Amino acid sequence: MLTPEFLRELARIVGPAGVVATPEGRLTYECDMHTFYKGAPDAVALPTSAEQVGEVVRLCLREGIPVVPRGSGTGVIGGAMAPRGGVMVSTTRMTRTFEVDLLNRCATVEPGVINLQLTHAVKDRGYFFAPDPSSQMVCSIGGNCATNAGGPHCLKYGITVNHVLGLQVVTGAGELLWLGSKARERVGYDLTGVMVGSEGTLGIVTAVRVRLLHLPEAVKTILAVFSSVEDASETVSAIIAAGIIAAALECLDEPAIRAVEEGIGAGYPKGAGAVLLIELDGPRAEIEAQAEKIVEICRSHLALEIRVAQDEAERELLWKGRKGFAGAIGRLTRNWLLQDAVVPRSKLPQAIRALNAISARHRLLVAHVFHAGDGNLHPIICYDAEQPGELERAMQANEELLRACIAMGGSVTGEHGVGVDKAANLRLQYGEADLAFMARLRQVFDPTGIMNPGKLLPSHPACGETLSAVPPQSLPQGAWV
Amino acid sequence: MAVTAAALGDTLESVVGRNYLISDPLRLTSYAVDGSVPRWVAAPGHVEEVGALLRLAFDERLAVVPRGTGERMELGNLPGRVDLVLDCSRLSAEVAYEPDDLTITVRAGLSLEALSARLAPRRQFLPLDPLVGSSRSLGGVVATNDSGPLRLRYGTARDLLLGVRFVQADGTVTFGGARVVKSVTGYDIPKLLVGSLGTLGILVELTLRLHPMVEAEAHWLVSFPSAERAGAFLAGIVDSALQPSRLELLNGEALIGLALPHAPAAVAVTVGSVPPAVRSQGEALLTLAARDGGEVRALPDGGLWRRLGRLLAGALLVKVVTAPALTAEMLSSVDELARGLGLRARVLAEAGDGVLHVALTGDLSPEQWERSVILPLRDWVGPEGGSVVVEAAPQPLKARLDVWGPIEPGVLAVMRRLKAEFDPRGILNPGRFVDRM
Repeated sequence: MLTPEFLRELARIVGPAGVVATPEGRLTYECDMHTFYKGAPDAVALPTSAEQVGEVVRLCLREGIPVVPRGSGTGVIGGAMAPRGGVMVSTTRMTRTFEVDLLNRCATVEPGVINLQLTHAVKDRGYFFAPDPSSQMVCSIGGNCATNAGGPHCLKYGITVNHVLGLQVVTGAGELLWLGSKARERVGYDLTGVMVGSEGTLGIVTAVRVRLLHLPEAVKTILAVFSSVEDASETVSAIIAAGIIAAALECLDEPAIRAVEEGIGAGYPKGAGAVLLIELDGPRAEIEAQAEKIVEICRSHLALEIRVAQDEAERELLWKGRKGFAGAIGRLTRNWLLQDAVVPRSKLPQAIRALNAISARHRLLVAHVFHAGDGNLHPIICYDAEQPGELERAMQANEELLRACIAMGGSVTGEHGVGVDKAANLRLQYGEADLAFMARLRQVFDPTGIMNPGKLLPSHPACGETLSAVPPQSLPQGAWV
Repeated sequence: MAVTAAALGDTLESVVGRNYLISDPLRLTSYAVDGSVPRWVAAPGHVEEVGALLRLAFDERLAVVPRGTGERMELGNLPGRVDLVLDCSRLSAEVAYEPDDLTITVRAGLSLEALSARLAPRRQFLPLDPLVGSSRSLGGVVATNDSGPLRLRYGTARDLLLGVRFVQADGTVTFGGARVVKSVTGYDIPKLLVGSLGTLGILVELTLRLHPMVEAEAHWLVSFPSAERAGAFLAGIVDSALQPSRLELLNGEALIGLALPHAPAAVAVTVGSVPPAVRSQGEALLTLAARDGGEVRALPDGGLWRRLGRLLAGALLVKVVTAPALTAEMLSSVDELARGLGLRARVLAEAGDGVLHVALTGDLSPEQWERSVILPLRDWVGPEGGSVVVEAAPQPLKARLDVWGPIEPGVLAVMRRLKAEFDPRGILNPGRFVDRM
């Protein structure tokens, strides 16, 4: 619990309008898009400057109060909730764009700036911010940095860390630092690279210097239809083997297509076993040649139909189907669990077969929506919480799915991050020495352990927390995959 | 626990075998690091041996200096102490090549050219092209974060390293990152180790992201009457949808050194793609060049790129990093500075990234080098957050200054905490990194 003196001090730092301390007010911050993991903070602070963030962190340091950073709250890993109470620091009032420097292809923004808004601000001049998670209409740049967000176009362009030149942060030790600059290289250790993806456990991002790219000359979007996900996966492997790096290679299977068509109506062929949404971008002559090759490959891999978007409207509709998918899944199932595992892309067909076998064994429907180009799967395990035993089977299937992917040489999470949802799973991928190294790294930035405690790293069993049953995980309508 | 030098030597020998430990003073001199001759050179053949060597070094507080092929051993401040040089060149095995995933895992001692030969039959490559040394080891290139012109399109080691196995100061073999192209599981340990000069751990195994070779490539050299005009040309390319693979700005002295037609400045460009796209981009480049008064010469092949490294040999080598848009201006300033001091300066710059390689020859005292060249350069780049690293210089100059340049104290403090945490006994390449850590 926070003392009245503490709350007064907090209000002095961020202004009385910047503190939420009522029970109802705090409840609205008790979870992010992963609504099972709930933990209301003892107070929410909404600073408007980096200096205020620094003062809040130092106040919490003095009093030994946990700090939980939060951007737009669109994460799906239970990262932006406060299981141990403390002060949640929300960046929603930090929305300034300090500078757009197109000569140096960069922009400096506060963490609360919305991803898509950043791109829109520079689009007319011919530039964009490449990381495009499906939640980009709502998610914040700071949040993108915290989770090292991806999105369909990261196949070609990389993930957030490849587009961050520098960060201003308040570390867990209370230091306000600028890491990196406009220069494309720095001496010393890559602290920016370590901070991105650290999920608020090393510090709070208070400004981001992002790299901007020039828009490509041309874009081509193709929808290829298959009778099975295996065929689609083999096609993806063949495209990559042909030396084509597409801008995006997304796959949806039959249940996913059904949900999209019922919920959104993107023009996906209902009843098809799978579709591949393929996007190429770059110099016009290059993408024309690549498109020709891709069509050839699709045909020789049993594509039933190949459709090329004729204009921007058609392209947008195809993407609306993909990016709006998670909102449509409610048409298929009441409840669902979501994975974010990565497998080597050459193992995609094998992974799909394994996943289908697991779901069949547990008598559950699993829908597939995934970034086929980089092997990042998003199996959606459908269940009905009201049917006895289904949740348990879903949890079991979830665990087996993940183990199967790791056994193929994959990774626990490709873009969503770890949070609390996947912390225990890190043990599937890393040994004790590896995890110990990470724990020590964390301590360097956060010596007293106040920064987002309980997130990202598995707790040591000796600490008395159970690693037993993975709690039920449900995502609400409107969550993004 | 061994206490005498002879006993230590015996223990080291028992780890790597007699043939792979050097303790003969005559042979050791060729392994000197900036004049400091080591007491031993050990060449482990397995990752376990690296672990054992470091455990011993940790126990006995031996200063360990990692070495790949030895071509860039001079990078860094003068060493504090050199007890054991760890020659990683025997660790060169390929662990797993997955062409269909565009990834490869190799031991860190493998050379760039050996890797290139391995990948070429599958029409794949690793786009790391430091100007000096295709014979260098991958571990060396990653540990020094060395890069070349291809960074424009493909990024540097920071973007290409997916997973890393390394040995900590106490001998613990540790893994970070992943073997797949996309992973955010836990902290990004590979990023921490890139460019760290072995000061947090010795790299033994690397998982790298590969790229498909382009179908066709064309190269041009565009000469300009001034660095300013070259700068306008560069700005035009950067502010367009053109996708060159390489964009290198050269000064007059560099052109002379390459036996190319003289001009105050020139830009070498590579475009790689399918033939129609190479042609169309080439046409666009011609248009831009004409607009900015450039004289275009189509090059017969990519041979020019292989010759650039030689320009930097035997000189005082400085790497200037500035905001990319200031590259041409910086080149002008360097030219002017050199002229004023009677020096010859050859400049090669990765213009899209603001990285200038400056090779200086001339007759200055160490004090003059520092006061009249390095400090002014550092003043110029300071405001934009750039850096000036003295990459190769005579020892008397290196003794006078920190080759890496200043780091903001708050940031440096965090770096020192990292070093203290992972190398508490200060045995990993002591004295060589930033702030002489």
